[in-house]
Amino acid sequence: MEFQTVLSELVKCFGTTLAIFLLTLIGSLPLGLLVCFGRRSKNCVLRNVTKAYISIMRGTPLMLQLWVVFFGLPMLLNWFFGLFGLRYIADSQWRFTAAIIAFIINYAAYFAEIYRSGIECIPKGQYEAANVLGYGRAQTFVKIILPQMVKNVMPSVTNEVITLVKDTSLCYSIGLVEMFTRATQIANSSSDTFFVAFMTAGVMYYIFNFVVAWLMERCEKAMAYYS
Amino acid sequence: MKKLIALLLAVISVFALCACGSVEQDNGKAAGVVTEDDLNKDFVLKVGFDAEFPPYGYLADNGEYDGYDLAVAKELCDRLGWGFEAVPIKWSAKDKELEAGNINCIWNGFTYTGKEDDYTWSLPYADNDIVVVVKADSGITSLSDLAGKSLMVQASSSAAQAVEDNKEFKASLKEVVELSDYSLGFLDLDNGTVAAVAADYGVAASRINEKSDEYVILSETISHEQYAVGFLKGNTALRDAVNAELLKMAEDGTLLEIAQSSDYVERGLVIDKLILINK
Repeated sequence: MEFQTVLSELVKCFGTTLAIFLLTLIGSLPLGLLVCFGRRSKNCVLRNVTKAYISIMRGTPLMLQLWVVFFGLPMLLNWFFGLFGLRYIADSQWRFTAAIIAFIINYAAYFAEIYRSGIECIPKGQYEAANVLGYGRAQTFVKIILPQMVKNVMPSVTNEVITLVKDTSLCYSIGLVEMFTRATQIANSSSDTFFVAFMTAGVMYYIFNFVVAWLMERCEKAMAYYS
Repeated sequence: MKKLIALLLAVISVFALCACGSVEQDNGKAAGVVTEDDLNKDFVLKVGFDAEFPPYGYLADNGEYDGYDLAVAKELCDRLGWGFEAVPIKWSAKDKELEAGNINCIWNGFTYTGKEDDYTWSLPYADNDIVVVVKADSGITSLSDLAGKSLMVQASSSAAQAVEDNKEFKASLKEVVELSDYSLGFLDLDNGTVAAVAADYGVAASRINEKSDEYVILSETISHEQYAVGFLKGNTALRDAVNAELLKMAEDGTLLEIAQSSDYVERGLVIDKLILINK
């Protein structure tokens, strides 16, 4: 296989990698905030349920979670519909959707803990001051706490986002054809493509992460309006 | 409020699932089992295959999936007016993919021998030997020379099963290394971390054809077996339709024509081993 073909094949499948990356962020960044609220809730049931969720998501391998969502959910749904004499059959779109769901619920758990660290390092005095000034609870959070939290968590979020770029390659384990799976297929198409395929993929991951890190740094700088 | 949000999320996720599949009346058969009436123009044959398994399934130079088995399956679908979809799967997950209905057959140098009761099978269409590849300069000439050495096999492959079944041979080895695909195994072989690779003849031959001076195939084989197309157990209507058309394709020379493509022969396809053709 020509190098040009290898490159164009990898670039084509990079689209899938990018889609997983973006959809995961779109889903998990807000979901993480909800989970974070749950984790800090005064309701002990909600708090402990979220704690257990975070614990499981962080305590088991993402690859395993991908398998459970991809194979387990359709089985569960099939069982559920079976109670009504119906049945559920997944179609080819499910492979991609399952990957997105697994990534979102996994990353939301990490983001929730990052947000929590960003919120809890804000001194109590600020809440008291806001209260004195007549701010309500929601207003305090949106106007005072949230902007500071976002600034606080930027370095940790950058870390997670970069990890996410590399974690997309785990989709290989459920046969989703993203860049890493494609590289493996190219590597197996003949004996002289092994290093070309994986090296090129590696360089592409690196360039993408370089861009991500650069963008995040720009964001951080833009938010450093007090220094 | 929070409960509302949680409920909303649950509803959204169920919808996401349903959007990726269909709910239908349970007709008492396992999911994915089709009747003769289903086999019309709307039927799509979803062929599960390992894209890391030349000459039966691989990524061709033009970036399309190709391989002898895929070419036969595609031609068969064209002739029957069915749709054709090649679904690359991880070989170790093939049973789950079949049960879930992500694919409706496994057609990729899939070993029939020894698994007769696990699937509904088509006619066997090829002979295969599980062979052992070693470095040409290693001095290894028989299976007994491998005593105390490491052997690589693909995870969940028939080669892995064959080594497992050959207890005496397995016990003589230092270890059996299971990897997800053969390119890793041949790299191991080049680096010396394993002394031999056990593989289907076609896969071994595709490597040897590229580098005939570096590897040799031992004349002693581990096992002999046959390939067939595997369907979900009970999926006999689909199997019968495929069988009938395969026989027609064998008779009118289509199978031979496909097999003679230089792409497949270069990658280790041996026409003499294709039994349907030689009938």
